[in-house]
Amino acid sequence: MLQLVVDGLFVGSFYALVALGYSMVYGIIKLLNFAHGDVYMVGAFTGFVVLSSVTGVAAVGGLASILIVLLIAMLLTGILGVTVERVAYRPLRASPRLAVLITAVGVSFILEYGVRQIMGPNPRVYPVRLSGETFNLLGARITLPQIILFAVAAGLMVALNYLVMRSRDGRAMRAIALDPQAAKLMGVNVDAVISRTFFIGSALAGAAGVMAGAYYGTVDFLMGFVIGLKAFTAAVIGGIGNLYGAMLGGILLGLLESFGTNFLGGEWRDVFSFACLILFLSFRPTGILGARVVERM
Amino acid sequence: MRNPFSRRGHAAVALGAVAALALGACSGGVAGGEDAATEDEGPIRLGMLAPFSGSEAAFGPYMENGAQMAIDEINEDGGVLDRDLELVTEDDACDATSATAAANKLITAGIVASVGGYCSGATLPTLPIFADAGVPMVIPAANSNQLVEADENGVFLINGTGDQQAQAALEWAQKQGAQRLALVDDNTDYSADLAAAVAEQAAETDIEIVLEESVTAGESDYSANVNSILSADPDMVYWTGYYQEGGLIAAQLAAAGYAGELLVADGTVDAKFAEIAGAAAQGVEGTFTQTPDMLEGAEDWIAQYEERYGEGPGPYSTQAYDAVRVVAEGIEAAGGTESEALIEAIQNIDGLELFSGPLKFTEEGTLSAGGFAIVEVGPEGDFVLLDDLQG
Repeated sequence: MLQLVVDGLFVGSFYALVALGYSMVYGIIKLLNFAHGDVYMVGAFTGFVVLSSVTGVAAVGGLASILIVLLIAMLLTGILGVTVERVAYRPLRASPRLAVLITAVGVSFILEYGVRQIMGPNPRVYPVRLSGETFNLLGARITLPQIILFAVAAGLMVALNYLVMRSRDGRAMRAIALDPQAAKLMGVNVDAVISRTFFIGSALAGAAGVMAGAYYGTVDFLMGFVIGLKAFTAAVIGGIGNLYGAMLGGILLGLLESFGTNFLGGEWRDVFSFACLILFLSFRPTGILGARVVERM
Repeated sequence: MRNPFSRRGHAAVALGAVAALALGACSGGVAGGEDAATEDEGPIRLGMLAPFSGSEAAFGPYMENGAQMAIDEINEDGGVLDRDLELVTEDDACDATSATAAANKLITAGIVASVGGYCSGATLPTLPIFADAGVPMVIPAANSNQLVEADENGVFLINGTGDQQAQAALEWAQKQGAQRLALVDDNTDYSADLAAAVAEQAAETDIEIVLEESVTAGESDYSANVNSILSADPDMVYWTGYYQEGGLIAAQLAAAGYAGELLVADGTVDAKFAEIAGAAAQGVEGTFTQTPDMLEGAEDWIAQYEERYGEGPGPYSTQAYDAVRVVAEGIEAAGGTESEALIEAIQNIDGLELFSGPLKFTEEGTLSAGGFAIVEVGPEGDFVLLDDLQG
């Protein structure tokens, strides 16, 4: 039983990291950024390219080099997120929401098949793999890489929370989420803050991508599709637009999947998680935390 | 200087040109198809559907190279009935929809026989398409029992069937003294069929099937499946899917502390498997049709292959090579490419030396002899012969 909790928490922390970007963007400009899962994929491939080009360095310190690559990938996916926003979403900000949504789907395909064009259709094997000891905790197995990745994910979430709740930028983000017009009148540079939101959200997804690549070992150009949908589900479960909701939703979805597959069988995993999505959308579209929090961010 | 009249004129010319091109292309395509099928001049075209993109893309080039090698050899010896052979390949991406479109494209190109088919799920929907066009199929790799059960005229399998592979897996499990066997598949036609065949045949042995589980392909985390495998506590796990998921499952099983044996089916027998599985690949065994590097007397063939393509032959290179030779033999015996005569001639081939032994097709179009061997991941990460199950 504890094993299921451990597995669920681990997978859930990936979902949570990706869901944060979904939620932040939705909270600020009410856009479901369907290209977000593919930013995760681009992050994984960025890590792959950087690690492959400096195999000498990578061989020296497994964990340290992965952390450095993690930062590089976060920077690059952050820039990618800002570019996508600037090129594809900003010109449409005054358009109906549907136009932007469809654009997001288009961006998603551009990223997927662009990477396919450059890196080829075959799955690629990560040059550096996290490996380490297995611990026994009350009968459940936890491996060292799982602990490290969980710690990195938790650290990123704490940092994000600090940024949004304590910093000046964070206050500006929350102000825009509340009322973009009023924020503008109070002297907030709305465009710059939205850019920064995209940077942070995309960087988190990129980090999750590198971590997944280093842990599972393979990356392919369609890897972002399913996790994008799962992160969306997580965001909805937690209450989309709510930061704590995204974290809670991610962890909860991980646990739901872990327990659900244990009782129903592995082939039911996706059926189960998307059934949860539909149930939430029908009975509690604001998610678990959605209704209680007035401030959407 | 923008004169609307002249612009309209341009548009009309352009439109006319497009229409002419489209008409030309259509008539060219149709006529080309008919010419190649009826006319006795020019090269005889053989078609091959194989995955050149998608998750199984690694196998397409192996098959294409093997078939091309046979074609070049035959052409150098003067061709078949004094005509050259020509290979036409199309990408089926291991996907039923792409395969159907690609099969129609091959028929339009005027092929007289098909020597392709890797993924059973993609090959199955092409059976009626080729049958309607009177194109016999000699399938080098796909081996789902459904291909046999579809009972279309003119379908021949060069690879052993799922039933034969299941038999080999059980034989090996018994030889290893395994009592409790877990079956894990990925829900594709090939994989689920093979798992079902093992479960069915196991009823006649003293091996107990303790778990039948499916995974969803394309995920990266299989911890849920790993958990249920561990709680079923088998001596041996038989994974019947493809290598990408197989590699991940092997790695995650090892990380979870599974100590029993892992046997994989031929879809996972590939060097990429060890790359993905990492250290967990050591000691993994597989059921596999024999490849040239496992066969005695194939050194010359391997050397030629390496010389031509700069790398060693991969899985199904030999089967594709053999498929072309079977068709060539059939055309020679039938004295032409007429559909019914060709199918009958292939059915009646007796004793043509293939890599898997002398060829004789059963009534269903499967091999009457020759079959699966047990391979093991070697120190280089590729699979090497462990036991040929011949005695």
